[in-house]
Amino acid sequence: MTMTRRDVLLGATAAAALLPLAARAQTSEVVIGATYPLSGSGAQVGVDAQRAFETAIDIINNDQDFELPLAKGVGLPGLGGAKIRIVYADTQGDPQKGRAEAERLITQEKVCAILGSYQSAVAVTISQICERYQIPFMSADNSSPSLHRRGLKYYFRASPHDEMFSAGMFDFLDAMKKKGAKAQTLALFHEDTIFGTDSANAQTKLATERGYKIVADIKYRANSPSLSAEVQQLKAANADVLMPSSYTTDGILLVKTMAELGYKPNAIVAQAAGFSEKALYDAVGDKLEGAITRGSFSLDLAAKRPMVGKINDLFKAKSGKDLNDNTSRQFMAMIIMADAINRAKSTDGEKIRDALAATEMPGDQTIMPWKRVKFDESGQNNDADPVLLQYVGGKFVTVFPSQAAVADAIWPMK
Amino acid sequence: MDKQFVARRRRDLITAAGLAAVAAIVPLFVKDVYVQNIMVLTLMYAALSQSWNILSGYCGQISLGHALYFGLGAYTTALLFTKFGVLPWFGMIAGGLISAAIAMALGYPCFRLGGHYFAIATIVIAEIGLLLIQNWDWAGAALGIDIPVRGDSWLKFQFTRSKLPYFYFALVLACVAWFVTWWLEDSKWGYWWRAVKDNPQAAESLGVVVFNSKMGAAAVSAFLVAVGGSFYAQFVSYIDPGSVMGFQFSLLMALPAVLGGIGTLWGPMLGAVILIPITELTRSYIGGSGRGVDLIVYGALIVLIALARPEGLVGLFSRRRKEATR
Amino acid sequence: MTAETIIQSLASGLLMGLLYGLIAVGLALIFGLMDVVNFAHGEFLMLAMYVTFFLFTFFAIDPLLSAPLAAAALFVLGAAVYLLIVRFAMRAKANVGMVQIFATFGLAIVMRGLAQLFFTADYRSVPNSWLGGKTVSVAGIYLPQPQLFGALVAIAAFGGLYLFINRTDFGRALEATREDPGAVALVGIDKNRVFALGWGLGGALVGLAGAIMATFFYIYPDVGASFALIAYVTVALGGFGSVFGAFAGGIVVGLVEATTALILPPSLKSVGIYAVYLLVVFIRPRGLFGSM
Repeated sequence: MTMTRRDVLLGATAAAALLPLAARAQTSEVVIGATYPLSGSGAQVGVDAQRAFETAIDIINNDQDFELPLAKGVGLPGLGGAKIRIVYADTQGDPQKGRAEAERLITQEKVCAILGSYQSAVAVTISQICERYQIPFMSADNSSPSLHRRGLKYYFRASPHDEMFSAGMFDFLDAMKKKGAKAQTLALFHEDTIFGTDSANAQTKLATERGYKIVADIKYRANSPSLSAEVQQLKAANADVLMPSSYTTDGILLVKTMAELGYKPNAIVAQAAGFSEKALYDAVGDKLEGAITRGSFSLDLAAKRPMVGKINDLFKAKSGKDLNDNTSRQFMAMIIMADAINRAKSTDGEKIRDALAATEMPGDQTIMPWKRVKFDESGQNNDADPVLLQYVGGKFVTVFPSQAAVADAIWPMK
Repeated sequence: MDKQFVARRRRDLITAAGLAAVAAIVPLFVKDVYVQNIMVLTLMYAALSQSWNILSGYCGQISLGHALYFGLGAYTTALLFTKFGVLPWFGMIAGGLISAAIAMALGYPCFRLGGHYFAIATIVIAEIGLLLIQNWDWAGAALGIDIPVRGDSWLKFQFTRSKLPYFYFALVLACVAWFVTWWLEDSKWGYWWRAVKDNPQAAESLGVVVFNSKMGAAAVSAFLVAVGGSFYAQFVSYIDPGSVMGFQFSLLMALPAVLGGIGTLWGPMLGAVILIPITELTRSYIGGSGRGVDLIVYGALIVLIALARPEGLVGLFSRRRKEATR
Repeated sequence: MTAETIIQSLASGLLMGLLYGLIAVGLALIFGLMDVVNFAHGEFLMLAMYVTFFLFTFFAIDPLLSAPLAAAALFVLGAAVYLLIVRFAMRAKANVGMVQIFATFGLAIVMRGLAQLFFTADYRSVPNSWLGGKTVSVAGIYLPQPQLFGALVAIAAFGGLYLFINRTDFGRALEATREDPGAVALVGIDKNRVFALGWGLGGALVGLAGAIMATFFYIYPDVGASFALIAYVTVALGGFGSVFGAFAGGIVVGLVEATTALILPPSLKSVGIYAVYLLVVFIRPRGLFGSM
């Protein structure tokens, strides 16, 4: 029998049609990208994020007994036990570099999803690129509210944004006021970046709506060599509540300068960032007894949900640190993304997107104090409740909301 | 103007045309978007550095604040487009003209300053610009400007996946910057600048005309850099003050010219072709470790080039070197 | 705005300004000696802060005591940088200025990378030192002890430097080399040795500054960037090459920074410094005390 050209062509077409199926069934590895600043001024967060992702992958790829999606059993059952591999890219905190790295991860490393990115400015460009290539992007730890309002189909964020965080902070202040605590005047102290601006805008809006008086609104240059002038203005305003939105560096300098200029605020309610970093408390913890910060994570949850403590131990073994606001969110972003890929039974961007959109993860299957994970049309999870943590005796105690609280807030601080 | 000089200029022009033609067909064979992205950045930095070289190399006015013009170009284009719907092509020209005007206004007092005083003045002026934009709410302040991309369009100069339009624009820009430099070398201005460099006394007698030519060089240099900034805004489709106006950017713009050969026709091109791929590749393939190794490699290369070839990499092409330092 | 606020601002500004002067004086010295701007100056400061931090963490040596050690370490670094890098960068036939700027710029990047590699990107600080967090209060005006001590060290360093340059043989050799590097060779002075010692001295001064900074500032690989630009402006404002200029420049920068923050939003306080710099050089193109 002679094979005609047509037969050959037909055969080739059939083989080509079968190939993706075969290849898909044998996918032994699912590649996920993570874009973080790994050098430059945000590098510490990026390096910690690597440990958080590794912890999550350990749990997914190995058989672990946690009430967490994919913990039991090996790999992703929906993809025949495929294991997750993560590829890191260094954005150096620059939007253009973040964009280029996201594109490289998609086209060269063939990642099927990207997690990121600490700096919100970098998330803007990465999410644009992901949209163009139809690859889901999940903001693990970006909190700028503008991010999910750009009509992107492939953008997701499981954790709260600054407006939700700030609303939580004001709910807390309302509750404190009701109890008779002195919390009428506020001093905002925020850096001149996206994070600081968004945070201050949200807080200013809420303060006006809820009848608080802002007696000082101090915008400072991030990483200033000196904060003396700023602190002096805070001191002169002497507000009932000091509300800093600062990263670790400026947070340390702020607290040290406050002590040096003899300013002891009545209460501090911080927008996390630096105020949930171990480095800050290592440096100036003795001056922060009773400081309160909002957070997305609370180790107190370990009492109710033992796996939180165990996962924290796993993370601590890798990083030497407890899970914090950032690392807990990074951990969860990986779990949620892996869960979606597993349900999509595919590494196709669009299918993963649809699976993500259909996510319905009860809060007790996470390590967070959230109600659940469910994304709205804009990709935002509105059921992620922030908590307020108070730094007491060298550790954080959850003081709000009441369902998560383990103690009453000490007010004013020490 | 000896025969040799005329012959060299003709040879330079032919070489440039040949290189541009070769560059133009490269992306037809190299389809990888990551590599194409590096090529776009390389051409962009070549253009920027070539423009910087006009003022700082040929004219000897070392500016470490060109990020100001880059940022002005980027911001003018982005603001005109997002606030008033003005197409980026017009924004590009507007940004260029604004930058040129500002460069001349700043040049007037600054050119009286000597060496390092001038350089520091350019740094602080660019920093003032950065701080003002960072605190200007209407211009997006720290939030920056997100340029909405709605599909491919030459009119709006935005393309979702294809890098080719950006590549060809950057190529044209680099060629224009090169050609302007080439043309200036043999102009009256170029002659004065050489005279001033070779013989400081000549500066005295040429005083006023040289001052005016410097103003012209500042304007041309700022215009081209601002067009580069406009391009960058379209290419990245998001800008914020730190990423287009930061001090680092001023240094990155000068670096290719310095390493390639400052005040030479080919230096900036050569510097960019070597430096930018190294920058990108070290970050992409070593930076993921999070241990700073990419910085060590990148920084060490800069030191090595600066030490091994203090007069620039064009020195490797020995025949050219003799002519460049002629 | 009360009188107390203004006095406090000026006091804080003055103390900070003296410290800026101390950070910048090494830069001024090196420039005065050989016309070289060290773009890794911020990284020198960063390294001095790490030296202080590690001596404190591992050997419990208080920054006050380790300051001379930090100065010694940076002396060695400064001399090494001259001998291994700058000396070669100076051989450029044209545009020596740019070549050495970028050689030291490359060095700055390497130093940041090395710091991240060996010390990690974590933020460090010296939590409780003898001076850290302590403050002196006079009639409601607070003077933090670390900055107060820094100011004293700065004044002492400037005094010492003045005597050193004017009263010692080496100082005279330094001065002579600066005026005519070619001629000194004829009288048997090794130019490279003088330059290396000059760089060492510049490093030692920033080493002192780093030890004091470590008592109240955070430490991480990029920390130098916050101070580098201020140091350049300080030196230029005072007049390149003038050690006394750096001292005066530092005070002016500190005071202007503090007063600007009283008038403009604090995020714009550097604008005041920059504007004053421009104003000064437009009137006096060689800075306040520039000689050449």
